[in-house]
Amino acid sequence: MRIVWDESRCRQHGQCEIAAPALFQLSVDGTLTFVADVPAGQEDDAWAAADACPEQAITIIETDSTDTEETA
Amino acid sequence: MTTTTAIPHFNVSDPAFSVRSDEVMAAREQHWYATTNLGIAVLRYEDGSALLKDRRLRQGSGRWPAHYGITEGPLAEWWADMMLSQEGEDHARLRRLANPAFAPRLLEAMTPAFTALANELVDGFSELGHCEYMSQFAEPYAARVITTLLGMETSQWQEVARLSAEFGYAFSVQIADELPRINAALDGLVAMSRDLIERKKSDTSGDFMSTLVAAQVDGDSLTERELLALVSLLIFGGFDTTRNQLGLAMKTFVEHPDQWELLRQDPDLAAKAVEEVMRVNPTITWVTRETVEDFEYKDLSVPAGTTIHLYSIPAGSDPRKFEDPSFDITASRAPHFGFGGGIHHCVGHFVARIDMREALKTLSSRMPNLRLNGEAQYLPDSGNTGPIVLPLAFDPTPIVGA
Repeated sequence: MRIVWDESRCRQHGQCEIAAPALFQLSVDGTLTFVADVPAGQEDDAWAAADACPEQAITIIETDSTDTEETA
Repeated sequence: MTTTTAIPHFNVSDPAFSVRSDEVMAAREQHWYATTNLGIAVLRYEDGSALLKDRRLRQGSGRWPAHYGITEGPLAEWWADMMLSQEGEDHARLRRLANPAFAPRLLEAMTPAFTALANELVDGFSELGHCEYMSQFAEPYAARVITTLLGMETSQWQEVARLSAEFGYAFSVQIADELPRINAALDGLVAMSRDLIERKKSDTSGDFMSTLVAAQVDGDSLTERELLALVSLLIFGGFDTTRNQLGLAMKTFVEHPDQWELLRQDPDLAAKAVEEVMRVNPTITWVTRETVEDFEYKDLSVPAGTTIHLYSIPAGSDPRKFEDPSFDITASRAPHFGFGGGIHHCVGHFVARIDMREALKTLSSRMPNLRLNGEAQYLPDSGNTGPIVLPLAFDPTPIVGA
């Protein structure tokens, strides 16, 4: 599972960090860092973050769990 | 080297003051903020946007009852428990537990129910060609969205509307004078919430309330007291703001008949229309924040405990952000402040967006040639505003039936 972030939509509300603190971090100056490849067991948190984003700037891409390389 | 800019000042307690006045728009062109008798008023879009999520500011209504000497009793306890008063990890925990019930995928499934509700209400007056929109549509629609979403009996909608209206005084300057009435309404809201929670404990349908009651994150769950505070806040907050915003939507369209016709021709514009209405005519005309520490931003330097109001109307028409700020439901705009922002961004925004979108689709298709039909009355326009009475006329259309 991969997280895709649309920077142009993001308004730095910080709801993703509240929903999934292990996956998203918003610094004081508004910079967002996130774990793009969701570790096993944290899929629900990733979905919760995508749902909680007021601007819907987070998309979840389901990938084949055996496929470790990024695919087009 | 410093240059001195004159900083505007407003007396916002003066009944003649208006957040949408020429005075406020002129002040925005003079400086990015004004001083007021309550604190600071932020007037420009980019500054409002930055301060909305500045972590050195907290949500500003947490100590509202305390300002009026209300520090104990049921209202003070409820206020301390509710989500808007929480900050930091306490707030994050409540929000994480509440979030699953507000997931957009679950809420989109409510669309047919909202459409049917809008049609049923419009059937009550469509053949007549006129209505008193607030009592015949906005109020029952907003209240029945709540009863539908929370799985309450439809017949409870009038009780939802009455209790919410009376509890609303808690957020007004009449809080101390109206305390007995506020406490009675709070009693009613809490009793209503308790019944609902009790009924939903054995419900596994996965609807909004059963999801909320069953919410668990990492083995943690909402306590009974937290659930009561949350559900009663949802009933009150969901009803009052939706009724007002639906009223302001129709006020805006009455003033822009070409845009109403555009929406009637292309109902897919309804989602954008909701955003555009909230940019030019938000029910929340200011978002309140309070500095948690001595605070510096640009040329502003204020002590901890200062109230900062972010004015949404001058921000929404700021020419620095909106080249042509006139009402246009086809335009792509920067986000408005109508749902607040930052960690306290309205948790119910998807519900509001979906139910208002469906209402506007139905209203525009069934009320062509919309116009004002008498004198409208409005709440004061500082803080939370909206119409009290809004008589409308339109070309009659047939009943569609259930």
